Amino acid sequence: MNPRGVTSTTYRIVFTLWIMSSVMQKLITPMASGPAEPPRNKVTVVGVGMVGMACAVSILLRDLADELALVDVMEDKLKGEMMDLQHGSLFLKTSKIVADKDYAVTANSRIVVVTAGVRQQEGESRLNLVQRNVNIFKHIIPQIVKYSPNCTLIVVSNPVDVLTYVTWKLSGLPKHRVIGSGTNLDSARFRFLMAERLGVHATSFNGWVLGEHGDTSVPVWSGVSVAGVNLQKLNPQFGLDGDKEDWKATHKEVVDSAYEVIKLKGYTNWAIGLSVADLTESIIKNMSRIHPVSTMVKDMYGIGEEVFLSLPCVLNSNGVGSVINMTLTDAEVGQLKKSADTLWGIQKDLKDI
Amino acid sequence: KPKTKITIITRMPSTCVQETSLLIISISFSIWSILLNLNKPCVDQDLCDELCLIDVMEEKLKGEVMDLQHGSLFCKTHKIVGDKDYSTTAHSKVVVITAGARQQEGESRLNLVQRNVNIFKFIIPQIVKYSPNAILLVVSNPVDILTYVAWKLSGFPRHRVIGSGTNLDSGRFRHLMGEKLHLHPSSCHGWIIGEHGDSSVPVWSGVNVAGVSLKGLNPHMGTDADKEDWKHLHKMVVDGAYEVIKLKGYTSWAIGMSVADLVESILKNLHKVHPVSTLVQGMHGVKDEVFLSVPCVLGNSGLTDVIHMTLKPEEEKQLINSAETLWGVQKDLTL
Repeated sequence: MNPRGVTSTTYRIVFTLWIMSSVMQKLITPMASGPAEPPRNKVTVVGVGMVGMACAVSILLRDLADELALVDVMEDKLKGEMMDLQHGSLFLKTSKIVADKDYAVTANSRIVVVTAGVRQQEGESRLNLVQRNVNIFKHIIPQIVKYSPNCTLIVVSNPVDVLTYVTWKLSGLPKHRVIGSGTNLDSARFRFLMAERLGVHATSFNGWVLGEHGDTSVPVWSGVSVAGVNLQKLNPQFGLDGDKEDWKATHKEVVDSAYEVIKLKGYTNWAIGLSVADLTESIIKNMSRIHPVSTMVKDMYGIGEEVFLSLPCVLNSNGVGSVINMTLTDAEVGQLKKSADTLWGIQKDLKDI
Repeated sequence: KPKTKITIITRMPSTCVQETSLLIISISFSIWSILLNLNKPCVDQDLCDELCLIDVMEEKLKGEVMDLQHGSLFCKTHKIVGDKDYSTTAHSKVVVITAGARQQEGESRLNLVQRNVNIFKFIIPQIVKYSPNAILLVVSNPVDILTYVAWKLSGFPRHRVIGSGTNLDSGRFRHLMGEKLHLHPSSCHGWIIGEHGDSSVPVWSGVNVAGVSLKGLNPHMGTDADKEDWKHLHKMVVDGAYEVIKLKGYTSWAIGMSVADLVESILKNLHKVHPVSTLVQGMHGVKDEVFLSVPCVLGNSGLTDVIHMTLKPEEEKQLINSAETLWGVQKDLTL
C-alpha cells in the first residue's frame, strides 16, 4: 500500500536501497559521530617472549587495560601472539589488542612494560647481560617516549636495576616515571617460601626484600611480621648465622630459586608476569599501594651515585609517588651501599647513554 | 581432602614424539589462563583450592610448578602441586586433559588420532582410579574423537565426559563478528556447532545482535551469493588456528581462556550454555556413537542438559556428514 505523498518510484528506490545496504547499516543507527575516544588505560608490552606474554596475559586477565599494544622485531611471532590473544577477546574486557613492529602502535600508553632483551643463560649472572641489553634499549626507549611522552615505564629486562638506570637516562623522563620491577618478585618469592614454613598464605606474611634484584638482595629481617607480631622479637637470631631454625636459608632459597626454575624449565615467566600485573594495577587504579620496586636512590642511605635499587615505593598514577624510609640496621645499609657501588661500577663504563 | 581440585594432564608417556617439548609450553599457558581466571577478585574462595599438574617431563614440570608457586602472593589457589605420579591427582573435581601430540603446520586434526589414542589408553585409567567422580574435560585434538575415546576408556557416564569442542570456534566467530560490527564479542551472538575443525557448522539462522536476526536483515548470509561475504567469517574461524600455528608455532592463549570459561561454569554451577562436545547419538538424525558440539548446559554435576537447536536441513545434513566422517575413523580404532 502506498503511503500518501510517496510515489511508487520513490518507494521502489527506497526499497532497493534497503536491500543493497549492509547488515550493519540496517542493524545499527549511529548516535555519536567523530573520531573514537583515545584509550584511557592503554598498556604497551615491548617484547613478546615468554616474559612479555606472561605480563600481557596477566594484565588482560585482570581487566586492567582498555587497550593493549605489543611490539617486537619478530613480525610473524608478534602477529601470531596478537591473533591468539584476539581470539580470546570474548572472554576479556580489553576491547582493543594491537601489535606492530612500528612504535606508532604504542601511542598514548599509560604504562609501557619493557621486557625486551636477551635472556639470562643457565648459570649466567644478571650483571653479565648488561652491554647486550643496553644496545637494544638505545633503539627502543626513545621511540616509546616519542609516542607516549606521559607514560610510566616499568622495566623488567635483566639486570633490572642497571637497565632501569639506562632507561631513565635514555628517556629523559623524571625519575618518578621510570621504575624497575626490582625486588617485587624477590619479595613475593620470600613471602611465599617463608609463609609455607608457617602454614599461612603469602599475603598474611609480611616481609620485605630490598636492594638489588638478584644475588645481593637484602631481606629486612627486622621488618618481618605475621599479624603484627615481629618475628625477630620472638627469635633474636632470626636471619642471622647462629639461628638454629636457619631462617636465613630461606632467603638463600629465594636467590637460588630463579636459577633453579631456569635450570628446570629454561626460563621463568609466570611469577614475574603476575608481579608486573600487580604493579600495573597500583598505577592504573591510582591505589597508592607500597611495592618494593627499583627507584633512583641517590642521597638516600648515604648513597652518592645515581643508581636504582629497590625500596618500598608508594605507587599511584604519578608512578612513584613517594618512598618509605625504612628503618634499616647498619649491616643492611652497608649491603645497600655495597650494591650501589657494584652497580655504579658497571654503569660508569656503559657507552652511549 | 580438597574441596575443589583441578588436575591438568599435560603430557604423555615416553612412547610419544618430540613435539612434547613444545607441547609443554602451550599447556602451561593454558594452565596459566585457568589459574589466573579463577583468581579474579570477584570469584569466591571456594572455587579451586588445589591445582595439580601431571606430566612425564619431570624437570620441566617441577620448574613450571615452582614458577606458578612463586606467584602465590598474587593468587588465591593455595596449593599448586605437580608430579608424574597420578596419585597426586586424587580427589580432583575436574580433570583437564591437554596431553597429546600437537597439530603440525598444515596437519589436519584427524591425522593425530591413533597417536593420541595410545596416550589416552595410558592416562584415562589412571585418572579414573584416583578420581572416580571427576568431570573429564578433553582438549587434545581431534577433540571430538578423543572425547569419545575418553568416554569409552573411562566408563564414566556421558554427562561427566566433555570435549572443549567448538567453544573456541564460537569464541573466534563472535570476535570476528564483533570486529565487523564494531561491537564487543559478548554482544554478538553466534553458534558454531558440530565438529571442532574444518567441517564445523555455523548456524546462520541463530546469528543475532540484541535479538535482531542478522539473516533476517540479509537473507543471503552464509551463502555464496552474499555480497557481504559473511561466509568468509566462518572460513576465517576454521583457518584461524592454522594461521596462528604458522605464525607463532602453536595456539595457547585463546584455548586456555575458553577452557577456563568452561571450568568456571562447572565449578560455580552456573548452568550456562556452551557449545561443547557431547554424545549426540539420536539427535538431529545422527545414528552413530559420536561426540559433536551442540549447545549444552554446564553445572557442577557436569553436562546436565542439551539445548535442541532448530536447524535447517542443510545444517543437519552437515552434522550427519561430520558424524559419518568421525565414525569412519572411530570404528577402526583399537581401544
